[in-house]
Amino acid sequence: MKLALTLAILCSVVGFSKAQQPAAPSVEALPAVKPATDGKVWGALVYATNDAKGLTGSTEAAPAAFADIPGRLGKVFPYQRFEILGQHLQDVFREYESWVVPTKDLFLKVDSKGPAEGGGMNLHLQFWRDQQVLVKTDAVLKEGSPLFIGGPKWREGQLLFVLVLQKSR
Amino acid sequence: MNNAVTALVTPSAIPYNMPASTAPESGEVSDSDLVKRCQAGDTRAFDVLVNRYRGKVYAMTYHMIQNETEAWDLAQEAFIKAWRAMPNFKLDSAFYTWLYRIAHNVTYDWLRKKKIQGDGEFDDSHTDHRVAAGAEAVARHEPSPDTALKNAELGARINEAIAKLSPEHKQVILLREVEGMAYEEIAEIIPCTLGTVMSRLFYARKKLQEMLKDAYENAL
Amino acid sequence: MKTPSEDHDLIRFLDGEMSDAERASFQARMDADPMLKSEVQMMQRMSADLRTHLPAEMPVPYADFFNSQIQVRISQEEPITLPAVRASWFDWIRIPTLMTAAAAVAIGGFMVLQKQTTQTGNSVVHSIYVPNPSVQARTFHSEDAQATVLILEGVEAMPADRKIVGFHIERSESDQEVATTTLYGAQGQIVAVMAKDARNQPRLLSAIPRG
Repeated sequence: MKLALTLAILCSVVGFSKAQQPAAPSVEALPAVKPATDGKVWGALVYATNDAKGLTGSTEAAPAAFADIPGRLGKVFPYQRFEILGQHLQDVFREYESWVVPTKDLFLKVDSKGPAEGGGMNLHLQFWRDQQVLVKTDAVLKEGSPLFIGGPKWREGQLLFVLVLQKSR
Repeated sequence: MNNAVTALVTPSAIPYNMPASTAPESGEVSDSDLVKRCQAGDTRAFDVLVNRYRGKVYAMTYHMIQNETEAWDLAQEAFIKAWRAMPNFKLDSAFYTWLYRIAHNVTYDWLRKKKIQGDGEFDDSHTDHRVAAGAEAVARHEPSPDTALKNAELGARINEAIAKLSPEHKQVILLREVEGMAYEEIAEIIPCTLGTVMSRLFYARKKLQEMLKDAYENAL
Repeated sequence: MKTPSEDHDLIRFLDGEMSDAERASFQARMDADPMLKSEVQMMQRMSADLRTHLPAEMPVPYADFFNSQIQVRISQEEPITLPAVRASWFDWIRIPTLMTAAAAVAIGGFMVLQKQTTQTGNSVVHSIYVPNPSVQARTFHSEDAQATVLILEGVEAMPADRKIVGFHIERSESDQEVATTTLYGAQGQIVAVMAKDARNQPRLLSAIPRG
């Protein structure tokens, strides 16, 4: 089932991404060796609002290590409620791009630029909304020091993207 | 909230008079002065050089590989390599010639690696100079009554044809036709003999001629 | 069958690399050989078209960001070491330790390059590029939240009736061969696949849209 689904997804995706290339990929093309990584990040999309009745009812909860994130968001953004809509724990590949996709609607492309002086990681980030890049940035991400991105307004509140370095090389 | 004060930084803070592109005009800092400043570690001087030549370098990488994203990355890589090599640049040639050589090498290496990876993109080879009897598999276009459209179609056909050339043929055509370089300059950049430059130019043109034959026949 | 030197003559004529005498001689050959003349004419026309359709200079997409990334990367390089030359007045920009824990504002279409100290252990935003000129970006560090903040203002609001499809992704597999990343949920199920189209734009294919 899983294999079939992978194949189906890959084939349909590859249909537009590799349209000009003759050879159809196969499941065997999947890499046997996991690419080297420079660290691991946790990303979440958060709905911030003052309207308790307007919450979506998402049951997502931050991992224990990041349980204080909603409280910290409250120190920056003028909202009472912070609801995690989606979350993504992602290895940051050393040589390849990585994607942090907590939701289908807003996601982040992460390129490692190697370890940062004094710890953490140098990253190139691209914040995407569907097919549109909202911002590109070069940043150093340090453990324990999250990056909050104040994104578009939605309903009565705002969508916030949180990126935290869980561990670095 | 106890947030740090925000500061405004805009490009107007940049001290140099930055031309939109290409060679310095009268009254602007010369390339050689900027190079000397770069050699002293002045990154802002390098930024001026990047501004001055990024359009030309990008055009070269784009024509060579015809992929906007990769061309952008390669052009950037060329400038970074130029920065690294700056201490060794003796100003014995024009900065742009030197930069172009670096950009060319970066792009050519990329093309060669791509070719080695065997994606079958290139269908001619510098080791086989025989021109195929028939045209390449390029779709035959019907003549358009509209001249502008015709030009656009011809432009597309030219790009298609250039893309099908081998890296070696592509480079001589672009150096000669786009950059307008003399044979000696091309030979220095590649590097190779004058005879090789002429041979490659001849076969590259023959190849293009074959590929574009129907476009010209229809246009006539 | 033409000899290499004849081939060379042809292109040297085309490229104006002949002496006057050579040129006159080649002209005489062309006059006597209609096929050669026709070939030269077509190649001349082709050369003109190549020059027309292949510009020697092109606008660089995201040009400011192009420059800023170069500046970021070269600032991370080892300093250039040459015999001492008197330092210029704007050397401040290349001193890696000079960066203050400041903030910056990026105005749409422009790029901001800044450097901040990394001594404090805080995350730092070095540069920002916002392609949409109607969007403004600013960044600061919040002491209260112990977080680095990047604010985007002027971003078009998400339609209120749009349902935000949230995922819970625990791991991914990247397949460089087909340039896709498969994203897996907590139970190991495929949640989505990230790919790119011919224009290098991301294409997210959701396998399991959540309720």
